[in-house]
Formats: sequence, structure tokens, C-alpha cells
Amino acid sequence: MHIYLPIAEMSANVLLFVGMGAAVGFLSGLFGVGGGFLMTPLLIFSGIPSAVAVGTGAAQVVASSVSGAMAQYQRNNVDIKLGVVLLAGGVAGSVIGVKMVRILSLAGQFDLFVALAYVTFLGVIGILMLIESINALQSVRRGRPYSMRRPGQHNWIHGLPLKMRFHRSKLYISAIPPLMIGAFVGFLGAIMGAGGGFIMVPAMIYLLRVPTNVVVGTSLFQTVFVSAVTTIMQASENYSVDVVLALLLIVSGVIGAQYGAAAGARLRGEQLRLLLAALVLLVCFRIGWDLVVTPRELFSITATLGGM
Amino acid sequence: MTPVRLIPRGWLRLIPLMGVMVAGLGLASVPASNAIAQEPGATDKRVPPVKTPRNRKTERTAAKTDQAPPREAVEADVSTRTIAVTSAFTGTEIVVFGSVVNSRQPSAEAGYYDVIVVLEGMPTPLLARRKSNVAGLWVNTESVAYESAPSYYAIVSTRPIEEIADEPLLERNAIGLDFVRLAPAAKSAIETDPEELKAFKDAVIRLKQKEGLYLKEDYAVIFMGKSLFRSSISLPANVPVGPLTARVYLFREGELLSAFQSRVRLERSGIELWLYRFAMRQPALYGLFAVAVAVGAGLLASAAFRRRDAA
Repeated sequence: MHIYLPIAEMSANVLLFVGMGAAVGFLSGLFGVGGGFLMTPLLIFSGIPSAVAVGTGAAQVVASSVSGAMAQYQRNNVDIKLGVVLLAGGVAGSVIGVKMVRILSLAGQFDLFVALAYVTFLGVIGILMLIESINALQSVRRGRPYSMRRPGQHNWIHGLPLKMRFHRSKLYISAIPPLMIGAFVGFLGAIMGAGGGFIMVPAMIYLLRVPTNVVVGTSLFQTVFVSAVTTIMQASENYSVDVVLALLLIVSGVIGAQYGAAAGARLRGEQLRLLLAALVLLVCFRIGWDLVVTPRELFSITATLGGM
Repeated sequence: MTPVRLIPRGWLRLIPLMGVMVAGLGLASVPASNAIAQEPGATDKRVPPVKTPRNRKTERTAAKTDQAPPREAVEADVSTRTIAVTSAFTGTEIVVFGSVVNSRQPSAEAGYYDVIVVLEGMPTPLLARRKSNVAGLWVNTESVAYESAPSYYAIVSTRPIEEIADEPLLERNAIGLDFVRLAPAAKSAIETDPEELKAFKDAVIRLKQKEGLYLKEDYAVIFMGKSLFRSSISLPANVPVGPLTARVYLFREGELLSAFQSRVRLERSGIELWLYRFAMRQPALYGLFAVAVAVGAGLLASAAFRRRDAA
């Protein structure tokens, strides 16, 4: 069964993309990430032009996060106040990021930049999470209670002005770090065609010390809005959002995400982080491989219409 | 290297607009053919082929000795003039058929004539890049910009084109994958040395072939009778939407006897057209629409799940 995609200008196998959407949706629900960091590379591997993959990925992230965010919200796992602060930074970062996509595309270095960004961030975050979750699992096994939160500890973050109280997260910190994190994630998310949850989640856990149960919901909450802004920007700047493709991925992704969220509720935090770390490293390795190994085809062609 | 580069830029822009694929455009010897080809409103026309001076001379002498028998000409048409690209479009097949007027061929199997059919898409700008290893990483370094390259190019013939006619004649008429009209942008043409340009050109053709957009089949034009012939050309699902030109050439012993040209329109229709126009004309609104669709689908599905869980 095939369907013609109006913006990607190609005929696509419905089952392939529905399966892809469901699989990514499941993982997105499980880990509380938008799933864009998996979806975008998968779309590109399956022959969708990279610009369209990035643009459509943003729309797909909106839908998969909106249902995930709803599910988390009902379980009272969203810190709205913190989410709004992150979101304010995220929108600003996204606007800059979409412009950057255009500049890099024109220079012919977009693909390289995307690959390097993926390898760097996925690599660093994957390794950090791997070490941390293994430590956590070991201390759990030894019978010592392991806590992510170290209430007595103070670092430079606590010395910053503009302090705000985030009740749901039991935090009293400056608004500057969440704003910065939001902007950084928004920027990278736009460039990498992802919601940025894979950076947001660890940043919230390790930098802001947000409790794990609130992290997922709050991250999804801000992802909905930041990726909505990114979708509109990609459509108007780069004409690269394919609604038909997005709808295929959304319908399957939303269903997958429900099952993922249910499965995630049954897993412990440390196990969840270990799995996510493994997944992140796998994607990192796959993308890095293409950068280093001599490609079979050195040449590539792109239609220059519209600058992408 | 190719005659194309000698042609002023303006001419290249005219080609797609007029749907004119007149052979050897820009050569001083064919003003008449240009005039015929540019006749407004006419979609199908017989195009006087460009011949080498040598051919013209042999023709004239042949005509004298043969007591002027009626000259052969080719007439052709396509099975579908307009192809609608809808959501169910998975590629299609175009049948190009035609006949030789005043055929002197005794039977379909005689192999007296050779026919070449070229189906060509719009000339579109293209950028080719090459990676090289920089500090262990494969990075795009050199690039060549093409002002125009056919978005699609299919060539089918009664037998391998090298056997049908000699290279200069094929090249002048842009017949064959080696002679596809690829016009490098002036800047790239100056900055890149000829060997590099050749490597890039080969790469473009190779990659287009890989995408299924440039194709060649040697024995795909078949004579059904003394004068009737047909061929079918497959259009893949990823063919860029736009007008296509079908050129039909009639050869006899390496000599181009006649040429004919017809157009195929490849257009979006139905919801595909609506979405495409929406995305291109009101991109911001379309983006909002995409977000609304995404949010709607997301909430609808989660609501459906909630109801199911509650029940």
C-alpha cells in the first residue's frame, strides 16, 4: 500500500512509515522524549529528503508529545511553572536554530553539522547516563537507597539572581539556568529536527536537580510548544513540512506512545535511564559511523530550488 | 565540451517555457526550425532535425537518383497527455507510439529504420557536491552548480544508440545519457577544471540513474508493422512534477530522417494539489494547520484511549 507525499514528492510505503511511527512513539512514551532524535535519522535513512525529514519530524513531535504530556498531566507529573520558563527560552532558541538551518544548507554543510551535533550530544549524554544509571543500579543492589536529589549540596547555580520557587519540583532556584537550558535545547532541537527531550531530560535531572517523576512530564509539556513553533517556522522558512507524512507518523506514533507511557510506569527510574542511555549511544554510533567510514558514493546531488 | 555552454543563458530559460527541444539550438544554420517550434499554442509539431552538412549532401544526391520517392517522416503521440499525481500515484507508464509516413520497410522485423524516443523533464537547477576526507571525517568540499539539468530523462531505442548514429549527431540532439544537457553555472564552469567537470557530470548522471530518474533501454522501441512502432517508458513515483517532452527520432543508416515532438503534462490533482498550493502560497498558515492537525490527532487519540481505559 503506497501513498504519494505532496511535499516530499515521493510515493511512500504506508506500512513502513506506520511501523516506524509506532516504534518511535512507543519509545517516546517510554522515556518521555519527543522521539525526534530517532525519527529524523530514520526518515533520512528511508529516503525522505533531509530537509523534509527535519520539518516533518517537528510536526510529529508535537503530536506525540501532546498525548504524552496529557497522560503525564493527568498523573500530576507536570511542573507548569518550570515548563513555561523552559518554554520561553526554547522558543527563542528555536527561532535562531531554524535560521541557522537555512544558512548551513546554503553552505552545503547542514548534513555534516547535523551529524556532528548528533554524535557530540548523543555521545556525551549517552555515556554520562550510562555511568550514572549503572552506579544507581549497583547501589540499589547493595541495598543503599539511591537518591538523585542532593538537597544539602549547593553549586554555582544557586548563587544566581532572579530566584523563583517551583513548588511541584520542590526547587527554589534562579530562572536563568532553566531559561538558558530551554534556549539551548530549542536551538539544537530545531537544527537536529528533534524536540530536544534527550538533552532536556538529563539537563533537568543533573543541572536543575528536578525530581525524576516530574522531569518527564515537564519536558513533554515544553516540547509540545517549542516543536509547534519549530513546525510553523520550518513550514514558512523552508517549506519542508509534509502533512501527509506527518499524519501517518502521528496516528501510529500516538498509539505507540500510549503503550510506551504505560510500560514506563512499570519500570524503575534507573532501568529506564539505562535503556535510554543504550539507545542514545546506538543512534550516536550509527551516525558517527557514516562520518568516518569511506562512503561508497562521494558525490551527492540536491535540487537547489528554494535553497535547501 | 558540449555545445550547450556556447549558448547564451537566456536561451536555456526559453527551452522549458516553449517546450522546445529543437536540436542544436543556437547553431546558425537552423533559424527556421526555431521559428516553427516557437509557434504559440502548438503542442505537437514535427521538428526539422538538424543534420550534419555531410548528411544533407548525401540526401540530395539520393533524392536525385531515386527519382524523388516520397520522403519518410515520423508521426507519434503519447498514450496519456495529462498524468494526474494524486495520493495514489505510484509511478506510471507512458506509451509512446507512432508511425513512419511513407515507410519503405518490408516488414516489422526488417530493421530498416531505427527509432529513438527521448522523454525529458523540465530543466531544473542542481547542485552536485563531493566529499573528501578532512581530518578523518568525510566532509562536503568541492561543489559544482548546474544552471539546468533535466529533472527526468528516459531514452529508449530500437537498438543501442551507438549503433544507430555517430556521436556528433547524437550530441547535437541531446540523445543519450552521455549527452544530457547539463549546463554548469558560469561560476562553476570557470572555477573547475575540465577533468573535474567531467567527473561531476558523470556523478550527476550516475546518481540520477540510481534514483531511477535517468534511464536507458536499448531494445525497447518495437516495430509492430511496416510503419507502426511503440515503446513504453516507466515514470517512477519520485518523478518531479512538471511538463515532460517526448522527442521521437527516425533514423536510417546513421542518418536522421525526421523528428517529432509531443508533450506530456504531469500535474498534481485533488488533495495533493490543494496541499501543495497551500504549503507554497501560505506557508505560515500551512504551518499552523500542520500544528493543528498534529495537536488534534494527538489529543483525539489520547482521548480515545482514556475512554477505553475508563470503560
